[in-house]
Amino acid sequence: MNDLTIVGKRVERVDVRAKVTGGALYAADVQMAGMLYGKIVRCYDYAHARVIKLDLSKAAKCKGVVRVLGPNDVTKKEYNASVLDMMVSADMRGVLGDIDDQNIFTDHVKHYGDAIAAVIATSEEAAERAAEKIIVTCEELPVYMTAEASKHPDAMQFRPEKPGNLAFQLPEMAFPNNTYAWGEVDDSFKEADIIVEDVFYVSKQKQCQMEPGAYIALYDDQERLNCWTSTQMPKLVQKKLANLFELPMTRVRINATVIGGGFGARLGMVLEPETCALAMAVPGRPVKVLSTREEDWVTSPSRHPGKYWMKMGFKKDGTPVACDAKFENYKGAYYVDASGTAFTTGAWLGGMYKFESLRYRGESYYTNQSICGAFRGYGNPQTNFVMEQLVDRACDKLGMDPIAWRKKWHKTVGDDGWCMGVPYNSCALDECLDRAAEAIGWTEKREKYKNQTGVKRRGIGVAVMNHTSGAMPMLLEHTVCDVLLHQDATATINLACSDMGQGSHTTLRQVAAESLGFPYEDVYIATGNTDAAGFDIGAHASRTLYVGGGAVKQACEDVKRQLFERAALELDEDVNNLYMEDKIIHVKGASNKSISVLTIADQGVNNFMNPENGELIGQPGQIKGYASFFPPHNAPPFGASIAEVEVDMETGEVTVIELVNAHDVGRAIHPGIVEGQLDGGAQQGLGMALTEETYYDDKGICLNNSFTDYKMLGPSDMPKMTNILVENSDPTGPFGAKGVGEAGIVPPVGATANAIFNAIGIQILEAPITPEKILKALEKKGR
Amino acid sequence: MKKHAITLTVNGEDRDLVVSSNRTLLDALRDDLGFTDTKYGCGTGECGACTVLVDGTTAINGCLTLAATMNGKSITTAAGLARSGNLHPVQQAFIDNDAIQCGFCTPGMVLKTISLLDENPKPTEAEIRHGLEGNICRCTGYTKIVEAVQDASRRMSGAGE
Repeated sequence: MNDLTIVGKRVERVDVRAKVTGGALYAADVQMAGMLYGKIVRCYDYAHARVIKLDLSKAAKCKGVVRVLGPNDVTKKEYNASVLDMMVSADMRGVLGDIDDQNIFTDHVKHYGDAIAAVIATSEEAAERAAEKIIVTCEELPVYMTAEASKHPDAMQFRPEKPGNLAFQLPEMAFPNNTYAWGEVDDSFKEADIIVEDVFYVSKQKQCQMEPGAYIALYDDQERLNCWTSTQMPKLVQKKLANLFELPMTRVRINATVIGGGFGARLGMVLEPETCALAMAVPGRPVKVLSTREEDWVTSPSRHPGKYWMKMGFKKDGTPVACDAKFENYKGAYYVDASGTAFTTGAWLGGMYKFESLRYRGESYYTNQSICGAFRGYGNPQTNFVMEQLVDRACDKLGMDPIAWRKKWHKTVGDDGWCMGVPYNSCALDECLDRAAEAIGWTEKREKYKNQTGVKRRGIGVAVMNHTSGAMPMLLEHTVCDVLLHQDATATINLACSDMGQGSHTTLRQVAAESLGFPYEDVYIATGNTDAAGFDIGAHASRTLYVGGGAVKQACEDVKRQLFERAALELDEDVNNLYMEDKIIHVKGASNKSISVLTIADQGVNNFMNPENGELIGQPGQIKGYASFFPPHNAPPFGASIAEVEVDMETGEVTVIELVNAHDVGRAIHPGIVEGQLDGGAQQGLGMALTEETYYDDKGICLNNSFTDYKMLGPSDMPKMTNILVENSDPTGPFGAKGVGEAGIVPPVGATANAIFNAIGIQILEAPITPEKILKALEKKGR
Repeated sequence: MKKHAITLTVNGEDRDLVVSSNRTLLDALRDDLGFTDTKYGCGTGECGACTVLVDGTTAINGCLTLAATMNGKSITTAAGLARSGNLHPVQQAFIDNDAIQCGFCTPGMVLKTISLLDENPKPTEAEIRHGLEGNICRCTGYTKIVEAVQDASRRMSGAGE
């Protein structure tokens, strides 16, 4: 693959000119004639309450108000905003136990910010003013903010079909004893010389994508439901809305607008149901619903927080014999991704090290928190925080170097991957570890930071991770792509894949141009219209380049095949005796015999008849390539991070001095885009380790749903960063590429925690590792 | 609510409009005048997505500024930076350094950079990072944005000397 001309190049991204001039249209920027504005009335006084009286009458009389809607004025059909139920077979859906438990508007408030009613008015301000006139009278109910509280036998039941408020546990039918396991864990522990065990807490991190939710819906004159949204999953949202409003898919159209960041917050539906319900109430008028930042915070899903117990056993020589773990997450008020994350958190654990035996239990409990769902990494950052700290504790006890131990015991090619039965097919983690260690000076610094005294203490820590490219075989992986060859020999690539800002439309265009053998300028990626585009499961699980790229490559190869077949007919040659260069198809060894792609493309469309002899000129029919692509694997990305920190022993403050990330990316289709994913992932991973958590008071009122009160690392907080791209081509990825969208967030979490352990000799068991927790731990140790 | 008849010069063109006392500059630009390149990210002055320039080089948050107080002022948004089809050097530097991902912070980030480089044409890396503290980006970890600002600083000082 040395003759690649576009893959591997830092081409200009397709969307940046529009973004840098402000011409890119995000959903909030779309204006339409006759636009109405919807304001959703939410409960901000209670996290759990029964609405006993809802008085809409005053609001209805306000200036500019068109309609006021309560729970009885919209469909009462329950739904599940997540899309996991569409990613598994009907049988599996039953096994997993996904349920529909959300309403457009509710009379049973289950979390801070739950939706009760809405106003439609002629301006945003009029809608807001009228919304304030809606009188809601509530009866307060007890709140359950943790799994421990909601599983209590006396707790109120969130759903009758989920006794004990256990929304999900690994189902017996697919996971014997409700465990994801291999070997005999209890027996294996008997062989252990050293056991490490603790209960950790992992935090409720928020995606904080820069664009707050914004939606427009229009039920038009053809009785079609149109929705403008920056969703990550246009085709699944189309189907979800079709189901909810009982319409055929032909009557639901998603116009996917430019996405201002997703990171999982736009996975599945967010406020599309509410906005569409408003539009259905005023046919013919577009209705725009804009979330405030505070509102977006509590209505889009967050990362799953919860208690994470883990126990590991090792032999004296370091052999990992057993790992036992249980993640009890504080699911939130509705089901959404209860099954997905509870499983994958264990899958990433199982996919990392060669434990003789392993047993993982994942349980999701309803709580009165805002919903939890997908967030970059999907359980992997949680596992990294816990697993990697325990491994380092064991290495400390065993007197082994954490990098040397990891190199010896991580899973690799041929070992069962994160999904048992699907072995890893490529792995360059050793090279990642070696190069990261060299870049940061691991050996010298580990030695130097032993036996420190003084106020400021340095530490250096490592963590590794495995992830995935697409969710095959657990979930459906499928992308449809068609390629239209125009008569001027340029090509439009039509598919539904979203670009959330990660750069997928650029890398897909690179894959298309490379596969067609056309210049980058001669291909265009067309997306955003669910009428035209075939199926795509959506942007999740680091899949867009791997699966979408696979579809693009196959559809482009289909075009190329047709071009060669026609050239063979025109040139009267065997198709295997042809080659293409600069869009001209030549006969091998016969320099005078050739035909251009332009001629074939033009003749296919303009298939004129020669008036003298009545013969058609060239081969008729416009060429269109097609692929309905199911990937053969999940091309696992691997990665390692090494962090160096400085801890102030008097204030507990942690400064990250340096972070090196080395990732096995298969092949970097666009190195700048890959670096960008690792950079941005690191900012979020460091944030999870050090500062990011959603806080509630004891009534369940959210205390920090704003940029003022939720601390993310800013430009001055970020360390010196180095990214090392290890290009170990995956046999199944397009041009060898693996998914890299989520990988970057994962190992900085464990590496930072381990660097703090290295600096102060104490492990902090709760994320984020704040100065208060460090001081408390130091004080406890001092005593 | 009292109404005010004001004139704003937005990207070089005069715009007359009537605003209520409580109308923010952000809403006036986006909803009254259609300059949707100015973004709403938080409404509380924390994220800087609504950054615009006043009288050429002073960066302010549109969400914290009342439109009525801007009467007679010249406002520059990202849409007004290109000159005869050529992007502003800061815009070009953001493109060339892969400093743009989702792009939602980009207009504000670019305008803030112009303001920063006007005050301090050759900032150190620490000065750049400090200068961008009021503009949140959730995609890039700021690495490539800082590189873009350094690049823009080189380009602009090179062109000016």
